[in-house]
Amino acid sequence: MYEPSAIAGLVVTAVLTAGLYALMSYGLALVYGVMKIINLAHAGTMMLSAFVVLTLNRAFHLDPVPGAVVSAAVFFVLGMALYRLAVRRVIDAPPIASLLLLFGVWLCAQNAAYLIWGSEDQSIVTPYTFSTVDIGDIKIAVSRLIPFGVSLVALGTLTWFLRATDLGKAIRAVSQNALSARLVGVRSERVATIAFGLGSALSAFAGGLLTLLFSFNPDFGGTFQLKSFAIIVLGGLESLPGVALGALVLAVVESFSILIPGWRGSLINLLAFSILVAALVLLPGGIASLLDRRGKTE
Amino acid sequence: MTSPLLRIDRVTRRFGGLVAVHEVSLDVSPGEIVGLVGPNGAGKTTLFRCVVGALRPTAGAVIFDGRRIDGRSQHALVRLGVCHTHQIPAPFADLSVRDNVRVGASFGRMASTARATVSSVLAQTGLDQLAETPARNLSIGSLKLLEVGRALATGPRLLCLDEVGGGLTPVELERMLTLVREIRDAGVTVLYIEHNMRAIRAICDRVVVLDFGEKIAEGTPDEVANDQRVIEAYLGEPAAR
Amino acid sequence: MRLRQPSVWAPIALVVVLAMFPAAFPDELNYLGLGFLTFIFVTLAVAWNMVGGYAGQVSFGYAAFFGTAAYVTAILWSRYEWEPVLTLPLAGLAAVAVSLIVGLPCFRLLGPYFSIATIGVGEAARVLALNLDQLTGGASGLNLPLSVPSKPWFYWSGLALAVVAVSVSAWMRASRVGLGLFALRMDQDAAESVGVNSTVYKNIAHSSSAFLVGIAAGLYVVYFSYGHPNQVFGFDLSIGMVLMGVIGGVGTLWGPVLGAAIYYPIRQLLLSQSNLVAFNLLVYGGLLIAIILFEPGGLLGLIRRVARR
Repeated sequence: MYEPSAIAGLVVTAVLTAGLYALMSYGLALVYGVMKIINLAHAGTMMLSAFVVLTLNRAFHLDPVPGAVVSAAVFFVLGMALYRLAVRRVIDAPPIASLLLLFGVWLCAQNAAYLIWGSEDQSIVTPYTFSTVDIGDIKIAVSRLIPFGVSLVALGTLTWFLRATDLGKAIRAVSQNALSARLVGVRSERVATIAFGLGSALSAFAGGLLTLLFSFNPDFGGTFQLKSFAIIVLGGLESLPGVALGALVLAVVESFSILIPGWRGSLINLLAFSILVAALVLLPGGIASLLDRRGKTE
Repeated sequence: MTSPLLRIDRVTRRFGGLVAVHEVSLDVSPGEIVGLVGPNGAGKTTLFRCVVGALRPTAGAVIFDGRRIDGRSQHALVRLGVCHTHQIPAPFADLSVRDNVRVGASFGRMASTARATVSSVLAQTGLDQLAETPARNLSIGSLKLLEVGRALATGPRLLCLDEVGGGLTPVELERMLTLVREIRDAGVTVLYIEHNMRAIRAICDRVVVLDFGEKIAEGTPDEVANDQRVIEAYLGEPAAR
Repeated sequence: MRLRQPSVWAPIALVVVLAMFPAAFPDELNYLGLGFLTFIFVTLAVAWNMVGGYAGQVSFGYAAFFGTAAYVTAILWSRYEWEPVLTLPLAGLAAVAVSLIVGLPCFRLLGPYFSIATIGVGEAARVLALNLDQLTGGASGLNLPLSVPSKPWFYWSGLALAVVAVSVSAWMRASRVGLGLFALRMDQDAAESVGVNSTVYKNIAHSSSAFLVGIAAGLYVVYFSYGHPNQVFGFDLSIGMVLMGVIGGVGTLWGPVLGAAIYYPIRQLLLSQSNLVAFNLLVYGGLLIAIILFEPGGLLGLIRRVARR
């Protein structure tokens, strides 16, 4: 159990999973950065997207990866619509308003999923679900390698988009200082709408890819949202490296948890939560951006 | 020679690589009104925040009435008698003016006589006319008065004011300065950050000038106004003779 | 207390009328049970509101307190043969202990971050309870002794508890504690700057509310003679507490009472009709969305707005 190749296997699994976790968390981070809102519908988006991908797979035999792309496009539009119809109206209200609003959206999404697809666990089996690639003594599941690769491409594209395009720069500008951005002519309403859509698309894309690794039911969004939150708290909202680091830590802890004697699989979700609490208690300085939105320079 | 009420002893505050305040030392004696001035970015607000418990100095000490207070929380400092106002007024928006002051009175050093304190503060600041108005409906002048009133209600021994003159009409400013004088005459020591030099000259006994985080001058308002280094700091170049 | 004021004698009159019900109709067991459970939910809503409304920290994790207290009662009663009533104070204290443990890290977070952390709290408690089956009976739940007090007893206990909860809430509003909570809700930094120790006050509110929730949980589990982690640690319980506050009017005294009075029957209706159960989350979610968008002040806000016309 403790042989080097087994350990190496755990590390590889962790790294591969971390890529997807980072992608998933970044959607949340983006929305927060631009409009200082925690998008609780993130859970609902990931979950619904998984079901959309399932449906595409069942109806058209579409592989989850292109399925996730389609789903991301759908949720980009839906995200923008949600923003324009509802979220926009509570932007200036106390933050709890948007939280409760999006929480309500999440509840509705869950119920919709129950009604359409039922409450049983679903999973998607692809031709490569059980394939592995061998590197030395380590077997790497193809179904982990693919989402990792796709996530890297997606994150790379996102980084390029934010750096190189005007819209991306506008998004970053609004994240850093909404008032100044407006003063220099950035149309913050438009940026916010697109950012919310983009954040939703990222969540949807991650949700679609998650189907390669996990089975899912209408409840499954909450777990991954909690993980996203733990990752963001650990790594910080502003930077991609931070999110990546947080994702890696969580993935490593989860991966190595099976070595704990008496461990049960159902406890794995407690890990994200424990990391969250530990980070809060032990690293208050490291997550100063969350603790005080007044921008106290501490 | 009375010992100082407040001693700032070589306080330094760094933010990563940036040194905002560098080894600033300053004494404030009981009953003084000491002004803290300097160009933008001089470190006044940072130093101020180190004194009032909003920031912890990277090095150095802040001693109030013989006790070290650096690093202690704001609410603990209120108990000891150090209270401050905010540069941008931060009222409790949904509470009335009276209730705003009541918070200060109930959680300060005179909590047992809160009701009496509220009445007297409202009268002293002239806010009694607006007592039942929700704070969110106040003008900037009244908001600034409320800031001072709320802090005053905590029964401070050292009141730290942050640009209470900013944004006021001349009439309002005059009234504010009168209020500050009255507060001092009642036995409260005042540390006062201000940009408005007229205000500084009008009420400060002494002025301390910061520039780039260092103390560059200290003295009466007149002495400081004629100090070569102060002139250079504000004008950015050696002044023409 | 000015007894002539309607805001004082009306509630007292209501309580008196309610208290007479079991004496007048001792055989209406269904209504007595319904009444009891409504009082329990009123207690939960009022308690939750102390933190969610007064302090402004919306918690989605109150099921952790409810469940812990429920199990303390259940275990002491079934395994150690305590008198159920005597377990209640301990159940309350257990809930207080959990609230302090939760408060320590979570109160460092403001606003929405606190809320999200609390989502995890409730769920963590539930998963723990499911897994600690030595203690809790795990997924099969705990079956409890069947001899319980009579329905009227439960009705009056529930009523008494609800009255206590509302009284504590009313006292808190009028006292220095309430003032401090309102201040820190509106601007925590400003509150600290005038002497409010926000950590202490948040924990006072949190513990008081957890204690009330704990007692309610103990009564609840004795009433049903059964406890299961998914039921007493259930997320829908936590959501319900948030909803009751929001529906009625968060941060007010009577809002949560109204909210409970509305929410509980809706919940029972949804649960009782098999074709409606499937829509419960949609109803709750829809209600939340509608209220936030159109009347954030909840029912009380709506009433006030109409009354002003």
